[in-house]
Amino acid sequence: MLLLAAQPNAIFLGQGVASDGVAMYDDLNGVQASQRIELPVVEELQMGMGIGLSLMGFLPILVYPRMDFMLRAADALVNHLDKLAEMSRGQFVPKVIIRTRVGPKSPLDAGPQHTQNHCEAFQMMLTSVLVDEIRRPEEIMPAYGAAIRRTGSTIVVENIQ
Amino acid sequence: MTNHTVESLLAFSERVKAAYLDKKIRSPVHFCSDTQAEPLIDIFKEVRPHDYVCSNWRSMWHALLKGIPEEEVFRQILEGRSMYLMSKEHRFLASSIVGGMLPTACGLAMGIKQWRIDRLPAEDRGKSFEYDKYEETDPRVWVFVGDMTRTTGLFHEFNKYSFGHRLPIRIVIESNCLSTNAKTRETWGDYPFNEPGMKQFYQYERTTPHVGLSQRVNF
Repeated sequence: MLLLAAQPNAIFLGQGVASDGVAMYDDLNGVQASQRIELPVVEELQMGMGIGLSLMGFLPILVYPRMDFMLRAADALVNHLDKLAEMSRGQFVPKVIIRTRVGPKSPLDAGPQHTQNHCEAFQMMLTSVLVDEIRRPEEIMPAYGAAIRRTGSTIVVENIQ
Repeated sequence: MTNHTVESLLAFSERVKAAYLDKKIRSPVHFCSDTQAEPLIDIFKEVRPHDYVCSNWRSMWHALLKGIPEEEVFRQILEGRSMYLMSKEHRFLASSIVGGMLPTACGLAMGIKQWRIDRLPAEDRGKSFEYDKYEETDPRVWVFVGDMTRTTGLFHEFNKYSFGHRLPIRIVIESNCLSTNAKTRETWGDYPFNEPGMKQFYQYERTTPHVGLSQRVNF
């Protein structure tokens, strides 16, 4: 995450970015407190916050601890983040990086609401936002590097079982 | 602030209606009600050029009053974009999804607040932030929603967060007491919507159907 944090105006938003309690929290070691905004549980609002912050010149990194939770953000993702450039004829092109993971099934199985992989479904719904599923640890850095370089938005799905 | 008058807004609507009936617009158009003109002109006296406006599917007058040239608004409508008029130059966005612009408005306002915090003296940055910290040069985000949007869960989240964090947001609730054709209040039963927040209301009577005109257009 330090690679992302080093980008100009990078800011992390989500649950467990400033308060301990989810597995992804530890990955933010070294990221300054001023770059973290702990949010209430507002998945849809969170996605749109990313759009607005991006239009204001920030690089929002939205953290969703499980991909299952992103279904609650589907409108802001599919109807807005993904379509804003098209609707505005390229006037507004938000760039948001979304970090999420597919929950593991072993050694603990978190059950049907915390282990779903929706990559294929989102790929079918999205026309401009890229879904990048990574399955091996060595793919992590290239995936986030590519997300930084892209003009548009990327969902990086960590599915390392 | 623009020079638009009630008459000029009505004249623009008539121009769009003529194009609509002449089959030049091949997508839905949500016309403003004549009774919206006066309250909107009053509200837009406070909207400054550097402010953002986040609107909805019925936004042609918002767009004109924000300063987008009439020909540009008309062109976008002819292109079928009436439900999501946009202008980066004029800081104007819209969405055809109920409440769709609320999250984006929140993010814009968070960016404005962060920009202000970064410019505060270092010793003031960790202190509680109140509305009086904003300066006249800081943009505000104006959000226009209907009365049903105001009752949605997303609106409540948006209102709680933006008020709780003192974001530079002004919410305008445009109430025709209807959601498409359903009576908004009746659908919710007897619930008092009186949450705090930076809101203002105006009420209007609908003078056209929710979408289109009372006349069928056969393509």
